Parts: sequence; structure tokens; C-alpha cells
Amino acid sequence: MTLFMPRAPRKTGLVLFPAFDWCISPSHPEREERLLYTKDQLIEEGLEDVENIYFFNPEMALEKDVDRVHLCVPSAAELMTASHFISTGGAIRAARALMDREVERAFAIVRPPGHHAMQTVFGDRGFCIVNIEAIMVEYIRRHYGVRKIAIVDTDCHHGDGTQDIFYNDPDTLFISMHQDGRTIFPGSGFVHESGGPSAPGYTINLPLPPSTSEEGFDTVMERVVLPLLEEFQPELIINSAGQDNHYSDPITNMNFTAQGYARLNSNLNPDICVLEGGYALEGALPYTNLGIILAMAGMDTSHVREPDYMPERFVQSAEMNRYIDDICDQAIGVFAGRHEAKKQFAGQQQVVERKRIFYDTTMFQAAETRVYHLCSRCPGFTEVTAEGLHQHIHGFSVPFNACGSCASKAKDSFAKTDRESDTVTVLQDRVADIFERK
Amino acid sequence: MIIGIDVGGTHADGVLLQGGTIRAKKKVLLGGEALEESIITLLQALVPADKSRLRRIHLSTTLCTNALIQQSLDRVGMFIQAGPGMNPEFLRCGDDVHFLSGAVDHRGQVQRGPSLAEVEEAAVAMREKNIDSVGIVTKFSHRNNEHELWVRNKIADDFNHISLGHRLSGMPNFPRRVYTTWLNSALKSRFHLFRQAMQFGFSRLNIDCPCYILKADGGTISFDGACEFPCQTIHSGPSASVMGALALVGGNRDAILLDIGGTTTDIALLADGIPLLEPYGASVGGRPTLIRALLTRSVGLGGDSSVVWEDGAFRIGPERRGAPMTFGGGAPTPTDAMRVLGRISEGREDRARQAMEMLRPGESAEKTAEELLQCFADKVYGVVGNMIEEVFSRPVYTVADFLEREKITPENLIVIGGPAAALQATLESAFNLPCLVPADYEVANAVGAARARLTVQASLYADTTQRRLTIPEISLLESIDKLFDMDSAEQRLEEAVRMLARELGGEAPVEIDFIERMQMNTVRGFATTGRIISLKAQIRPGLTEITE
Repeated sequence: MTLFMPRAPRKTGLVLFPAFDWCISPSHPEREERLLYTKDQLIEEGLEDVENIYFFNPEMALEKDVDRVHLCVPSAAELMTASHFISTGGAIRAARALMDREVERAFAIVRPPGHHAMQTVFGDRGFCIVNIEAIMVEYIRRHYGVRKIAIVDTDCHHGDGTQDIFYNDPDTLFISMHQDGRTIFPGSGFVHESGGPSAPGYTINLPLPPSTSEEGFDTVMERVVLPLLEEFQPELIINSAGQDNHYSDPITNMNFTAQGYARLNSNLNPDICVLEGGYALEGALPYTNLGIILAMAGMDTSHVREPDYMPERFVQSAEMNRYIDDICDQAIGVFAGRHEAKKQFAGQQQVVERKRIFYDTTMFQAAETRVYHLCSRCPGFTEVTAEGLHQHIHGFSVPFNACGSCASKAKDSFAKTDRESDTVTVLQDRVADIFERK
Repeated sequence: MIIGIDVGGTHADGVLLQGGTIRAKKKVLLGGEALEESIITLLQALVPADKSRLRRIHLSTTLCTNALIQQSLDRVGMFIQAGPGMNPEFLRCGDDVHFLSGAVDHRGQVQRGPSLAEVEEAAVAMREKNIDSVGIVTKFSHRNNEHELWVRNKIADDFNHISLGHRLSGMPNFPRRVYTTWLNSALKSRFHLFRQAMQFGFSRLNIDCPCYILKADGGTISFDGACEFPCQTIHSGPSASVMGALALVGGNRDAILLDIGGTTTDIALLADGIPLLEPYGASVGGRPTLIRALLTRSVGLGGDSSVVWEDGAFRIGPERRGAPMTFGGGAPTPTDAMRVLGRISEGREDRARQAMEMLRPGESAEKTAEELLQCFADKVYGVVGNMIEEVFSRPVYTVADFLEREKITPENLIVIGGPAAALQATLESAFNLPCLVPADYEVANAVGAARARLTVQASLYADTTQRRLTIPEISLLESIDKLFDMDSAEQRLEEAVRMLARELGGEAPVEIDFIERMQMNTVRGFATTGRIISLKAQIRPGLTEITE
């Protein structure tokens, strides 16, 4: 069809799974209708016939894929529905398409989303139960031996789940740009949240003021994201591609556009995008998703404009520009100071961190204590105890980049821990790819 | 009685059917005279003595395919409204494409109207070039045809032939709608001339029964309908072949249909005895379209394909280098292997053996022949496997559909075409399935044409929030109340299908299937504002029962 259909300069794979029969509740933003208009737009555009654009069905993720990342209470199977396994499998399918060189870029346009799901999971938070890109990342590491990965979260909400999962991993650079947590769920994502003791400076938060527009995102990309990626040199770049920074989104307050999203993705040039939020079903998603796809494929995005797009509505004040510049300076400082920051933990054996995690969907809190067992040769293993809904978990988690001695220490500690009737006790060893419960 | 005629590349076949029985068959070579003349010659030989017993004539014709190949198409002016989305420049399919401003969105809501000045300017430019056939297409016109109709009304007096995108298909896919509309416009005057010539021929033979044309989806359309929608008649050859195999063997199981010819093998699939369709439509001369079509794949493997032995393996086709050696040609072919193994009796055996020895000197001719046919069957098997996988990989959008996906599991092979009988045993072992070769397979296409029945598809989209109902295939756009539900949708769509059936076939429609049923509530804020209903209905490709 070379003559009659355009050819994408980059082979791009799409896993489009709108789950038209799944919702959190009928009037919830995560409802059946969410991707209806997006699917209609993408199909009507004829993307299926564009040369070098490929559509894939998702697959079912396995419990094993989930258990590699999460500590689910009581278990992954009991918390997740078929939809969650399919959307996770959608992200995995996108990754396989890329890693097996079926395509050069891949986009999982799937739901339910995942970036608010943390390491421990007691239920649904921020419309997410499991973190589909984190599961995908560890799947890639396990099956394809990739080490350094950058995750850039462009959803309007702070990617707190992804941050939590990779907080102590210096091989994952996590950058989240989002509406300032003082004004929106989940209320986190400040510059000082910058990584655990083994990975200080590898979590970068860019809390942007409400009404940030194209200019602000351009600034953040040029001044922070691109230079940091250049320095970090990841093997893969993943975009947690939420689209709720859009000016018409009903649950956020930003002023971003389809043109802006397209440009952001052209500049970021991610290997994989995974859809996150975005709840302006009609006015934004059909255009933002199309813009992102065309940008990934290297195609012309200049005609992707919302029907009511007017450029003059997206001019930022000088004051806002200064404010954003200041946020950028702080973030640059965090990354530049990462080696210095690590020194303060030198010689320490353990660092303890406590937090309370709010599950907004069904309104309860979980309490968590994390003990980072530090190591001079690797990021060390993490011991987690958490309680939520009167259920307990005690987990020993060995990261993929742990050294042999940390792995066996975790194993020993797990073996020595007595089985308790009200507690799920778990060994999660990503090096040996083991998940053991007692 | 029904006459079925299939026009192929080199010759045309015809049969006269009474019930399921072939009363007469006739073959004519094509070439010298006009296509119409060859068809009339065939008819002359087939018409029963008592002409009043002839109920219908069914014709599968290459007219449109040839027009496309010979580029004897009308110059077409296109009015295209693309709205936001991909850069539409690639749709500049000729010199006379005019892009219009304005847009309809994904939900069929008018975002901005088209500009009258642009339309008038474009129309003037087209008239200056003596263009008489135009196409009008807007993005999402299957959701709201307002702009296509508006443009049509502005230019209705200026052009003889006007094709509207939404009338050609209710399916989504804007580029395909553009190409379908362009093709339809480009074929119009050509098809009108064909009908005139045919009608003249009919009256010469004193035939006054209706004539139907075979479509790409294995169904028929009235001659008048075909004049309105000539693009539907492309690819009618493969569709005649599929319907023929179905008529000669049939069944209600999953099966594979093979039509093995001299240079190609055409493959189709049956699910529960019903031929599968392309998800959107046929590809015509490289252009993706919305022309409803049977799913067929053609591979360059046939009895006369030339064979070479390379790096320890056979390479069969896709080219043909003259006749098989057994019939005096110079290059080894699968037909030579069939001769060596005694699967065919015509042709010189010594030349066939020579062919095998040329391929693999020192090896016994029988062994080479056996392995060559096996390789042939294995290649077909590979393509069939890919096709089945492709069908299985069609997108699903709901959890239920994802969990219920089922792969086609063929229970037999139905094979027609010249080498069918000679390859039966080999195919049986390669596929590990029973292989049926029907009697009369040489006229399968003509039988298929004769037995095909009317097919129709229509689509309904109702949005109760916007109080709008549309059935594009009949240009319906009307207001509905808030209570419009799936039952009302089924009723309206069934009426539409019956109406289309009357318009395009005049026959009493048989069973109507509802497919792709979707209903979804629309919610704004925290309140349900209405629902969107989307539904398709069809008369699926099938066989007519001929009673007399």
C-alpha cells in the first residue's frame, strides 16, 4: 500500500485495548466509555492501514509477572480482575513487540492504568491496583537483560506508585512532571522526594503549578528531562503517558494540548508509552492519543488539533515562567548532587522509612515500614512490613541488581522469620526470579 | 432455472442450473471481441429452449478489474473534508482533489461547517476540466452525513455522477472511504456502458429475466444497484470460486477452501460453513477500501509455477516460465511431478521424468516428484496457518471478547481448480485433514455465481444524548427520543436491511444477522446522560436454493 497510505518512518506497535466492559463504577472516570472516542478516532484515521503501524492484541499477564514487582495482600489473584491481567499483559505485549524487534516503538493504550500502585498492594488507589509499567519494566529486565531504564511520567498526577517501587534503584531514573501535589491527588511528588539511600537523585519530581501550558512543559523538557536523560544514558525510555494535563480534563487544572503532547513525545522519543490517566474522553483523548502515536511513529502531527484549539489560550504569564524555571533549577540540583547525597549514607547498615498510604478508591489507610538493608556493592535488599484492612505483610525484596550476598541475606532472614497466621510472609527475589510465601 | 457466468482472465464459463443439477455448461475463450459479446455468446448456448423458465442470470465480471488494470477509468473530482487528524495530503489520489475546511467529530457532532466558496471554487475547477464524475467524502460521515449531503446539494446540477462516502459503507476508516468513493466514481460511466451493451444483448436474445452481478463479498446485487455502486463488483472472480466450492461441497464446519490454478492458489476460510470476510474491505490495486469482500489470500503457487532446486530446497514460483515440460515447456513444474507419479495421465512421461532429473540429477524421479509436491503442499499449509493466525489476531476490545476468542479449527479441505485431484493425497497428508475434491470442479466458479444470493450490510449508530440516529447506508439521519434502546435499534436496522434488499436485489431477504452489538452509557459529571448504541446487521453470503 506504499503508494496510497503514508509510511511511518519508525515501525510502531499499538496495543489498543479499551476494555469496553470494565469499570470501577458506572459513573467513575475509569468507566467503559473512557476510550470509546479514542478508539473511534484511531480507527477512522485508518491507522491500521498505515504502513509500519502494527496493532497487537494484549495477552494475559501471569501472576508471576505481578509477583516479581508487588507484594499483594492477600494475593495478586484475589485483588486483580481479568481486566487487570489483560491491561498488564497489554503493557507486556508492547514491550515484547519492541524487544523482539517487531517494532521500533510501542504504545500500550490500555486500561485500567497503574502508576499509583505501590510495591505493597491492599486494594485500588488512584484507579490502579497493579503498576502496569513497573511490571513491564521488571519483565523486560528478567527476559531481555536490560539494566538502565528511564521512566518519565507525564500524567497530571504524581506517579507515586512507580516512584515507590523504584525508589531505591539507581538503575531506574524516574522523572515525574505533574500538577503540584498541594493542589491535587495524591498530594505528593515534591522536589525533595528524590530517592532512597541507594539511589538518591534518581527520583526527580517536577511539581508544576496549575494552568501550566505548552511553554511550561517545553521548558521542563528542555531544561531538565532531556539533559538528565543525556547524562543517565538509559537503554530504554518509557513514558507513563497520562493525558490529563489537557486543558479540558475534568479532574485536573492544567492547560496542556494535543500539540503539546505530540511535541513532548517527539522530543522525549520514548521507546515505549503506556497510557495512564486522562479523563476528557471526547475533547482530549482522541487527539492526544493520536498526537502521541504519530509522534512516536515519526509522522506529521501538525494537523492533530482539538476542534476548539486556539493558540492564544495557551500563553503563560512571565511569573509562571519564572516559577517553573525555579522548579527546574531545584530538580537539576537534585540530580547533580546525587553522588554527594549518597555519601551521607556511607557506612550505614540500615535506613528505616515509615509511611502511610491512602487508598482513595475504597477509603482506607495502610501503614508501612521499610527497612533498606544497605550494601556497598549493590542497592541492597529491602524489608517491608505493612498493615492495611487488618491484614499484614512481611516481605523481603531483592532487587534485580542485588549482589549474591544480599540475596542470600534476604533468603536467610525470610527463612528465620516465623510463619504467623495473620501475616503474609514473602520472599521476592528478582535475581533468582523467586516468589515464595509462607 | 438460473444461468451463472464467470468471466475469468482467459476464458468465461457458464452453467445452466436447475435445482442443484447442471443442465448445460459452456466455455468460451476471451480475447478478440468485446467482453459483452463473449458473454452474449455464452448466454446463447445456455438459454433453455423454454425461455420463460429462466428466472435469473448471475454474472461475475472482470469489467471493473480490467478497467483498473488498463487505467480506463473516469477522471474523478474529489471533495474531501478531513478535519483534525493525520495530515490528509496522502489522499491526493489524483489531480482533482479539493480539501474542504470544516469538521465532524468522532461522535458525529458538527464542529465547523464547510465553506460554500471552497465548494463552488472546486466545482468550477472540475467543470473546466470536463470532469463529470465526482466523489464527496467527509471524515466520520458514517456518524453524520450532513456535510456530504450539503456539498452534494450545492453541486448536484453540475455533475452526472456523484458518489457519497457514507452510502458506500457504514464502516469507519476515512482513507478507505476516500479510496472507495474515488474508485466508485471512476468506474461509473464504464459500468453504465456495460449495462447498455448487456441490455442490448439480452433483448437480441429475447431474454427478459433480471440479471444480477456478483460482488466481492460472495453475494449478488441487481444490475441497477451495481450501476450505482460499481466498485462492489470488483474481485467477483475469487468470490465466485468460494461460493462455487461451497455449492459443490458445503457443510457447516470450519474448513479451508483452495482454488489451485496454473500460477496461483487462492485460499479462503469457512467458519461454521460461512466464508470469512475481510475486516474492512478489499484492497484494490494497492488501495485499501471499504468494499465488503471475502477474505481470500492468493499465493504464487500453481501447477505451472516454475521450480528450481536451491541450497537443498525447492523454490516454487511465483513466476511461470511457459508450459510444464510434460506439455512441451522448458522448465520443471509441479505438473511434471504429478505426471511422473501418475496423478495425471495427459502429457509425455519421459519429458516429465527429465524435468525431475534436471532438478535433482542422480535422484530418482519418483522421489523428487514426491518431495516436490510435498513442498508445494507444505507451502500452502504455511500460508493457511498464517491466515488462521491473522484472523485470530483481529483486535478485540472487551474483556469478554478477549476471553472468548477461538481459533478456527478446520475439519476439512475443499479443493478446486485444475490440479485439485492430482494434489488431493499430498494435501491430505500435509494438512492431516480429509481433502474433498468435488465433481464438476472445473465449472465451480460458474456454479458459484449461479448459486450466490443477495448480500447486504447496514450499520446503525444511535446517540440518545444528542438525540440522533444514523444508518449511513440508506442516508438516514433523524432525531430519536431519550428512550431509544437496543430493541428499537434492531427494529430500525432490520427495516433498513429489508429496504436495501428490495432496492439492490428485489428478492425477499432471508435471515438477517445482527453483528457487532455495542451499547454504552455516556456519563458527564456523575450522571448518566444517555447511551450510545452501535449495531450492524447483514444478510451473510450464502447459497440460494433453486427449486425449479
